[in-house]
Amino acid sequence: MGQTFGEMGDVIGVERLTKRYGRARGVEDLTFSVAPGEVFGYLGPNGAGKTTTIRTLLDFIRPTSGRASVLGLDSHLDSVKIHGRVGYLPGEFGLYDHLSGAEYLTYLGSLRGGLEEPRVRSLAERFQLDLSVRISSLSHGNRQKLGLVQAFMHRPELLILDEPTQGLDPLMQHEFYALLTEVRGEGRTVFLSSHVMPEVERVCDRVAIIREGCLVTVEDIGDLRAKEVRMLEVHLADGAPHDGLEHVPGVREVASAGDVVRITVVGPMDAVIKKLATREVIDLVSHEPSLEDIFLTFYGSDDGE
Amino acid sequence: MANETFGSPMLGRIWTKTIRDHRRGLLWWSVALVATAFMYAGFYPSIRENTEVLTDYIETLPEFLKNTFLSESGDFTSPAGYLNTELFSFFAPLLLLIYAIGAGARATAGEEERRTLDILLATPTPRRRAVLEKFGALVIGTALLAAALWVSIAALGPPFELTPDLTNLAAAVVSCVLLAVSMGALALAVGASTGRRTLAAGVTGGVAALSYVLDVLAPSVESLRWLQTVSVFHYYAGNEPLTNGLDPLHVLVLVGVSAALLVAALVGFERRDLAA
Repeated sequence: MGQTFGEMGDVIGVERLTKRYGRARGVEDLTFSVAPGEVFGYLGPNGAGKTTTIRTLLDFIRPTSGRASVLGLDSHLDSVKIHGRVGYLPGEFGLYDHLSGAEYLTYLGSLRGGLEEPRVRSLAERFQLDLSVRISSLSHGNRQKLGLVQAFMHRPELLILDEPTQGLDPLMQHEFYALLTEVRGEGRTVFLSSHVMPEVERVCDRVAIIREGCLVTVEDIGDLRAKEVRMLEVHLADGAPHDGLEHVPGVREVASAGDVVRITVVGPMDAVIKKLATREVIDLVSHEPSLEDIFLTFYGSDDGE
Repeated sequence: MANETFGSPMLGRIWTKTIRDHRRGLLWWSVALVATAFMYAGFYPSIRENTEVLTDYIETLPEFLKNTFLSESGDFTSPAGYLNTELFSFFAPLLLLIYAIGAGARATAGEEERRTLDILLATPTPRRRAVLEKFGALVIGTALLAAALWVSIAALGPPFELTPDLTNLAAAVVSCVLLAVSMGALALAVGASTGRRTLAAGVTGGVAALSYVLDVLAPSVESLRWLQTVSVFHYYAGNEPLTNGLDPLHVLVLVGVSAALLVAALVGFERRDLAA
């Protein structure tokens, strides 16, 4: 990557970070940095090492080698100071079932030096979360919302969110994205992990892609889009001859079956769409690229799993 | 969304919340202790009336059983002797031990296994402080139970002519607390170092049981008598606090064991990768 470590102003700096477990895979030689005000995506399939990286940043686990800085502080030596300025949502977490949401947040708020009640109320209202209910009777989605509220409630400078939208229904996901836009507007930094590309494309400025514990790439979202491989399924009225489509810029592969043409496109769709516009199109489906498709972009072939 | 209540004072700190979490358990343990005290008090008059029969019977018992249940003086019909024999030789320490070992095992390992620990420690709370506050809650909880035991014997004893010296009774329950806390600290240390609650409770239960057996059996074999000194029970009951009050040296040993194990818990927890 070529970034120097601990560059002034980096909110997160990870340098040659390696974590090995006995038999489980950890992470290997990670180096990347996150700039202030960024929404930084950390994309990879389940088990790729996203949670390992995040829990190292928070000093819950210690690296085998390498190091990390958060807000200019050493992730291990200054972990308590860091925790005071970070909001964290774990990927999987338990809550105190016998408490109500309000009691839970009171507890965490006290440990953070005080609870900003209006802030908590407004967050709960946004997510339509009833804080008077005992946690034991909350649905999975509502537990996730409570996790989000505790991460955002103290207006942290940095949010570290491990798969934040899992378990949220689409409406609440939308609300979450809106909240992200707000906190970015306030100049806060967000580090979020995800295993779905569209989510990362939607909310992030930059993305690091991790696979099997190793960093695949760190890219601006725009650059990533330009390299992205997507599949178009086009249903044509006049049968499926696809004369000349393979010569259109960006088209990598064309295959037809019956009336349907499948076109693999790299980068912008513009040229393909304009070419197709001369035909009678009954239906057109653009598949969101799966992570495996993304890896294909960077490796040329799928050598994984 | 009208009725959320923020700001319960018991949710202000880790140790207060831990006691709040235990409040129901503490209540039921206290009820059990009061009931136990009442039961033993109720039996006292009949024991006293049958002193001779019982003494003859006890003479027929093997040596180790006498060690188990009798004070060295062999007196079990005075209020202190009776309580020592019936309550403080086994049942009272057992109840307090179960509570303290449970609290120690749950302290960090319970949170770790339930995955509540990540968010708790993501607050600006040093790991050592979490351990210290959990230990503090364990000590307070155990002390509350001991206080309940003291009060119930002091209040329920006299109607049955069970009237031990109240200062010595206090010495006995304090000794009981010191014993229970030392084993609670062991459970805390194992749990903090491994993250496994059942293992912590199991190992500690085993150590406590072995300690008890050593304390009872070692004196009956001359060459093994020294083994008694490695048993925490020896420092709990050896001086017979109900009759003689607290032995400063024994107190020091039990406090020292707790302190050493607390340090082990702090170090073990600080150094470890916590489970996700």
